[in-house]
Amino acid sequence: MSARRSSMQVWRWPVVLAVLTVSGLFSALLGQSGVWLPLSWLLLGIPLLVILWRLPLRPRFRQR
Amino acid sequence: MTRSTLRRWFWVHKWSSLVCTVFLLVLCVTGAPLVFRDELGGLLDDALPYASVPAGTPNVSIDRLAETSRDMYPGQTILSIFSDHDEPKIVVFMAQSWEQFRANRKSVHWIRFDAHTGQVLKQSKPFKEDGYTFLELMLQIHRDLFSDLAGELFLASMALLFVTAIVSGIAVYGPFMRKLDFGAVRADRSSRLKWLDLHNMIGVVTLAWALVVGVTGVINELSTPLFALWQRTDVKAMLDPMRGKPVLAATEMSAPQAALETVRAALPGMVATTVVFPGSPFGSPYHYVVWTKGREPLTSRLFSPALVDARSGQFVAAVTTPWYLRALEVSRPLHFGDYGGMPLKIIWLLLDLATIAVLGSGLYLWLSRRPSLAAEAEAELMESRMLASLAIREAAE
Repeated sequence: MSARRSSMQVWRWPVVLAVLTVSGLFSALLGQSGVWLPLSWLLLGIPLLVILWRLPLRPRFRQR
Repeated sequence: MTRSTLRRWFWVHKWSSLVCTVFLLVLCVTGAPLVFRDELGGLLDDALPYASVPAGTPNVSIDRLAETSRDMYPGQTILSIFSDHDEPKIVVFMAQSWEQFRANRKSVHWIRFDAHTGQVLKQSKPFKEDGYTFLELMLQIHRDLFSDLAGELFLASMALLFVTAIVSGIAVYGPFMRKLDFGAVRADRSSRLKWLDLHNMIGVVTLAWALVVGVTGVINELSTPLFALWQRTDVKAMLDPMRGKPVLAATEMSAPQAALETVRAALPGMVATTVVFPGSPFGSPYHYVVWTKGREPLTSRLFSPALVDARSGQFVAAVTTPWYLRALEVSRPLHFGDYGGMPLKIIWLLLDLATIAVLGSGLYLWLSRRPSLAAEAEAELMESRMLASLAIREAAE
């Protein structure tokens, strides 16, 4: 954690996730048939997967 | 961003969060079962099951159900009849009189009929004598903490503080993350540092969802004043000629089923669901108010009323609803997440849990702000580093 991050680097992923979330919310609201519902589940599921991926579940074992 | 601006954003973030956190936790906990309202309601309901009938069986006439209801409760007034589009049920709402209903909205009680057979499936008692069901309890706490309009406005202001906390959180996130990769969680140092990183990571990942649910929450809490505004402007203008006239007696009225069909014929693009009887504080002494909704995914959430002359049975007019009621109606599904099937509801629940984690970790960070000199020193160090990096940046620019 030495180099300074630019605004671009700091905000790249948060902005991508926000766009995915909003697209997911409106995909299910505007179209309730065909591909729109599964698409919304996929889009809204991505932020949850990111949380799961970043949760520090492993270090506990590393410390022993 | 200058150092003093950053300090100010920190102050806003800290205090807007601290004031609303406890109430937000209550909202998150009571909101979770409300996402599954339909499933839990069906599960916890002790009503008789719907009769199984061949496909295409028509609904019974609501005239017949109105008659049955009056026979069951002689002397009482029918307030409205709701016929569900999704389930084969028709619900008749009654009270002793319109005066009693105006004096106390809780005096209303209902009878639920099977739409195909006309059989009584379930009845409620007036004045909440049969107690709150689990879901009603959750909704009451979630909407107004048992305090009607005052509670609604209070929770609206808490939701507004939540939105403020998110916006100020965005403002402090940038400077904070200058030296960290996205999603970095430093779990091998102090517990406080770990929770700080988790707070930032989960907070920024769920940012858009939390903002949408927060903003639509504010709008939903304003539904009482928004409807009142509509009543006092558009509706009043339309109904002013009828104001103060005596309400039609049940014997003078045209048939409610005919009113329903008149509206269906006049507005073929709409689904007519509820007939409000003459005398309603939200209607006129001379008209049936028939509530309709659209057929498309989005328009099926937009309700608008039509007027039918309750003496002649003639169609009078379709009433347009103003933009602020449209916004209110669209914000309901976006708040409760009950519009995209079971997977969306489960996603909503998980995002709700993530929000609880952000709120809880924020509270922990505040409570543990001076647990030891070492941790305080670390926090100071972090802050000074961040401010120093800002200073360098300012100098460079």
